[in-house]
Amino acid sequence: MPELFLRMMKEEWRIHSTMFGQVSFALFPVMIFGIAFMGSFLLPLLRSAIPSSDLALMTHALFLMLGFMVGGFGLLGNEMMNRRFGQASLLTYSARSLPLSEHFIFLNFVAKDTVYYFFLWVFPFGAGYIAASPFTGTPLFQALLLLLTLVLSFMSGLCVVFLLSALYIRSKRACWLSVLALGAGWGGLAILTGTNPALLFPPFLLYSAFSWSTLFGLCTILAVMFAISIVLFSPETAGTTKHYPNTLAPLIRRVAFLPNPPLVAKDLIDLYRSGIGIGQTLFSFLIPLVVIWFFLSLVGSYLPPHGLLFMFAMITGVIASTMYTWVTEFDAFGSYACLPVAVSTLIRSKIATFSLLQVIPAVFIGLVATLTGERAYILPAVVLCVSISFYAGSVMAWLCGLSPSVLVYDVKVLFTYLILDGVVFAIFSAVAFANPFYALSSVVLFIPGWWCVKAAMKRWDAVDPAGF
Amino acid sequence: MAPVLEVTDLSKVYGDVTAVDHVSLSVEEGALFGLLGPNGSGKTTMIKILTGQIRPTGGSATVLGLNVEREGLRVRERVGIIPEQESPPSFLSAMEYLEFVGAVRKIPDIPERAERWFDLLEFGDKKHVLCKDLSRGTRQKLMFAQAFIHEPVLALIDEPLINFDPIMQDVVKDYLADYVRSGRTIFLSTHILEVAEELCSSFAILHRGRLLHSGPIADLAEKGLHLPEFFLSLVRKG
Ligand SMILES: Nc1ncnc2c1ncn2[C@@H]1O[C@H](COP(=O)(O)OP(=O)(O)OP(=O)(O)O)[C@@H](O)[C@H]1O
Ligand SMILES: [Mg+2]
Repeated sequence: MPELFLRMMKEEWRIHSTMFGQVSFALFPVMIFGIAFMGSFLLPLLRSAIPSSDLALMTHALFLMLGFMVGGFGLLGNEMMNRRFGQASLLTYSARSLPLSEHFIFLNFVAKDTVYYFFLWVFPFGAGYIAASPFTGTPLFQALLLLLTLVLSFMSGLCVVFLLSALYIRSKRACWLSVLALGAGWGGLAILTGTNPALLFPPFLLYSAFSWSTLFGLCTILAVMFAISIVLFSPETAGTTKHYPNTLAPLIRRVAFLPNPPLVAKDLIDLYRSGIGIGQTLFSFLIPLVVIWFFLSLVGSYLPPHGLLFMFAMITGVIASTMYTWVTEFDAFGSYACLPVAVSTLIRSKIATFSLLQVIPAVFIGLVATLTGERAYILPAVVLCVSISFYAGSVMAWLCGLSPSVLVYDVKVLFTYLILDGVVFAIFSAVAFANPFYALSSVVLFIPGWWCVKAAMKRWDAVDPAGF
Repeated sequence: MAPVLEVTDLSKVYGDVTAVDHVSLSVEEGALFGLLGPNGSGKTTMIKILTGQIRPTGGSATVLGLNVEREGLRVRERVGIIPEQESPPSFLSAMEYLEFVGAVRKIPDIPERAERWFDLLEFGDKKHVLCKDLSRGTRQKLMFAQAFIHEPVLALIDEPLINFDPIMQDVVKDYLADYVRSGRTIFLSTHILEVAEELCSSFAILHRGRLLHSGPIADLAEKGLHLPEFFLSLVRKG
């Protein structure tokens, strides 16, 4: 185990570091550390506006969400193993030829990703807070406890989504039923106890009142969920001879109004047939957002009227912008290399597919606005959400071209991304909080968005395709 | 006859590896040109540069009168390519993949053309199976069909025979021989020296990125040499 595990770690390191240099990549956790360190000094300021328990809850929610976004292993397992950076170049793939079981290889793969994300995001964040604790007067015990419970938050998100996605591969119905049961339990709790169930989130409970038994119980639950997921994970049965009807040609005609209809149609078929489209919508979009809603509703009272809806619309926009990674992650440039398709054409078609997918956040925010009785504000909320998403997605295309999930670990890239998104986020929260209908002005974001797409096409045409 | 492909002092450096090292050669129209060389000698890199997929670090090349660096896209519109790693998009069926290629290349009557390829390479029973579920050889058939479906005047093909069974190798060899007989050109990279000797009208040998030899295959016969021995002696000398 350690041998394969270490080699996979090394490989992951090389994949990232060859794309933008070792130093830049090594700086990534340092930057996260820096952000947490500096952020700690803002705490007294924030505390005057928001009680620290709610702040802590938000931070836990953030790490839970990070876990959610990383956790779709069961779903992505086979695809990742086969396609991520081109076949056979990856140890995960070639290890199949060694006398090792599929489950064993997969376990290593999952462990590697978990540890990797842990050291890139979770640990530096907690460490930054701890390092700042002597200066901010936070007791060291409190800071250490936070690091522990944040890790547990991350692991909870990871394990829940991993379990659900492994289940999804086995039986879609069982997965949907579990999601419904979870939702019903969660909602029922809210109605019966009259408290927001987010307050009952175990890692947060542990943070507010530490006890060894809670810690032990939580770890056991996580370990059990993890073990079940690994058992459920089913390596693809080779040699399926299922025949598929010809859907490409009709689909090309249906999307003829977009640029590059064949490429868009192909992406849509990929998303649908691989299960990535539906799976990702569930695991990387709906579940995180529903949970965020519960956490966010706690701070609703600090926001102006309808502020919650618009805050949520913006967060949904940011999450929806990651759909750009769904459409780029699963095909290597290699499959287009023999065709007269330039990188710029690909970027444009990916943006077109991405734009089509924006129906999902639009409908979602429409539903949320209806459910919260704010139907009058559907239009500005949807416009704000989609504009932010398109803008953030385009910025990603400009900064990362066709490999957003790799290049985001370049410190320069992430920093620029955070600044460009943060500024827009700040401006439009102020605008929407001033008057909900002012949020309509966010359509102007399509201008810088479009400019970014143009710049992306020019920029990424000028270099050899990455990893090719 | 005019050269359809002209390479002048071409180089490609990856970090500290020189994959192609100051190579010059030209290929006449109607030739079946064989690019030979041991593993890692730069054949695939040459084909990628000639089709504008990657940029050279030195020198220049023209294909069908187009500069590969500046007009790579135009080159790929006009030629056919079989890449080294057969990787059709995994969630399209074989038929859909050919339709996809047809739509990208704007080929009319693609269903009829596709049927002809399913017949010729005998994989019609697999046309509705997803590419990811095809066997390696069948995927190679698909890539072969994809490269020739628009009947390009020039095809650059990287190891097209490697996954085929002996029967299919014969079918494909016949196809290639016919293809050049009709005046079109093929640029073939291969390790199978017997096939090269049988099919090619001219050839070049690369070794560690450098060009060791290029010329008509007939020159060898005049000297009473066979390609395999010639290749081995040249490469062993370095
Ligand atoms: N993307 C790349 N990055 C770094 N080095 C590369 C890259 N692609 C190829 N090389 C190196 O360039 C050299 C030539 O490789 P190339 O693939 O062209 O060889 P080849 O003649 O096609 O070999 P084979 O017969 O095994 O297919 C090799 O040393 C290879 O390691
Ligand atoms: Mg090669």
